[in-house]
Amino acid sequence: MPIFCLGVNHKTAPVEIRERLAFSEKHLPESLHAILKVEGVTETVILSTCNRVEIYGAADLPSSAMNSLTAFLVDHFDVKGHPIDFYHYDSERAAHHLFEVSSGLDSMVLGETEIFGQVKKAYASAHQAGTTGKRMNKLFQQSFLIGKLVRSNSKIQHGSTSIGSVAVDLAEKIFGNLNGCQVMIIGAGEMSRITAQSLVSRGASGIIVSNRSFDKAEELAAILKGKALRFDDWENSLSQVDILISSTSAPHPIIKTDAIRKIMKHRRGRDLLLIDIAVPRDIEDDIRKIDNAFLYNIDQLTTIAEEGKNRREEQIIFCRNLILDYLAAKGIGAIQDPSNPSSHNFTPHNGTSPITDP
Amino acid sequence: MDFTLLIISTLLFLGGFIFTAVKLLAGTYHPGYTNLFLIGLGFLVQCSFLYLRGQLHGRCPITDGAEMLVFIAWSLAIMYFALGRAFRLSLVGAFTAPILAILHLFALILTVRNPAIARPIEKMDHWLEMHAAMSLLAYGAFALAAISGAMYLIQNRQLKSGHPGFLSFNLPPIRYLADALIQLLAIGLLLLTIGVIAAFFMKKAPTALHLGLLGGVWFVYTAILAFHLVNRPSAKWLSLSSLIAFGFSLITLCAI
Repeated sequence: MPIFCLGVNHKTAPVEIRERLAFSEKHLPESLHAILKVEGVTETVILSTCNRVEIYGAADLPSSAMNSLTAFLVDHFDVKGHPIDFYHYDSERAAHHLFEVSSGLDSMVLGETEIFGQVKKAYASAHQAGTTGKRMNKLFQQSFLIGKLVRSNSKIQHGSTSIGSVAVDLAEKIFGNLNGCQVMIIGAGEMSRITAQSLVSRGASGIIVSNRSFDKAEELAAILKGKALRFDDWENSLSQVDILISSTSAPHPIIKTDAIRKIMKHRRGRDLLLIDIAVPRDIEDDIRKIDNAFLYNIDQLTTIAEEGKNRREEQIIFCRNLILDYLAAKGIGAIQDPSNPSSHNFTPHNGTSPITDP
Repeated sequence: MDFTLLIISTLLFLGGFIFTAVKLLAGTYHPGYTNLFLIGLGFLVQCSFLYLRGQLHGRCPITDGAEMLVFIAWSLAIMYFALGRAFRLSLVGAFTAPILAILHLFALILTVRNPAIARPIEKMDHWLEMHAAMSLLAYGAFALAAISGAMYLIQNRQLKSGHPGFLSFNLPPIRYLADALIQLLAIGLLLLTIGVIAAFFMKKAPTALHLGLLGGVWFVYTAILAFHLVNRPSAKWLSLSSLIAFGFSLITLCAI
């Protein structure tokens, strides 16, 4: 299988390097054709995301093509003075790497789904630019099949792995669709911003930011395309809100049970999700006893995220076996079989450990 | 033959429940069509049972306790296919299957104790047929409302605990459950109202006990919905009310 993969990702290169090597989407067709001119490269696809820059290609002599391509990249991005640890995979190892990438097994957040769309887009761009051929077409089509197979037959996507995604999952378990959900942020901290942005990315709107320093509230409101509110007024606006995120540095709870109980009476059965990411806590714990009010503090959110991460990590071996089984069934497997001559190509050239088949 | 059909449909409903329960307990549940297929198959066998009984009596097969239970199960299955699926509530089938199985199990016991005998009527009364069919369809909607209520209470408890588990991951959002619950109660009340009105046109007037109990059920559900419209209580209250009201409805049914 004369195919190869050359690149860097979040595990092998810091963001300073990755951002220098990133291909701009606007100039992608030109970049694809430029790579196609590199000696020995007959087909190519560029996968350039915030966590990885990878070039997949076909060549009769993959090793020689990858050496030429490395020289081309160093020259193209003007990174001669920077020690860059490109990984070079060829044959089945390159294919296997792409299958793991599209399945989310090589992602910073294990099992994330965005990468699947990014791989599809990378292939579509290359196909449109006319830099793919029989080998790349087959390889990428297979990677889409395997990506779907792994996701639908494993629990690699189950559970949330960050505070932001836990908040989104909880909100969706309460409200279903987040479109039109009103969010109020009390305390314009970094965690509030991240959590609110996760909610906004899933359709939440009408962001209200309230902070002791009104300037800071306005600043964050501008980022989130919401509106700022004076700190003395937040309680009056709470009856309109579906999700409340609090992260002030107040030394004692500022959101009291009695106040929420009073507000809930006017909400006519509407649910309220309260996310307390402050330490010391901003929201009184008894609020969770009020009907239609759901309270989560930082410890609970962190526990759910940690459990999600652990569950996903436990799934890696299972997912890799799914890929190996698929490849074996298709007759292009035996990746770890020493008797298979092609298996000698599986140790990455940069010395990172090969995939182990448990 | 009808007894065999009853056993087969009971086993199919039970199979649907066991399949989903095992998958949920093992943490390997994925939304799929196995449960729907088993309930669907059970429903077809159930229809065959009711058809045979209908042939036996020469009218709608609601002549004894067993038939009444199977007819309620049939109404519930109809509501599940017509509305439960439309609301796209994940796991509603898993909660419906055991109720269907339980209703059938009781029907089986009653059939063993009192084997079916032909109970033909001299003259067909369409108002009576309408009254019985609409009332039992209403019971199907109320049963599905109670199931949505139970699902709401479980999801609510999971989310309130601060540590939602695998079941919560697979249950629908509580807002969807609350919306479905209200709509099912409204549909059930509408059907029951038609059934009650039909009772007043029947050739042979129903007994005072029959009318009183039916009116009682109608009043309970009307009161729940009226209270909801006026005061907008919490969905937890509504869920609990739907469960209690359905329990009350079943008791009245036994009395009728």
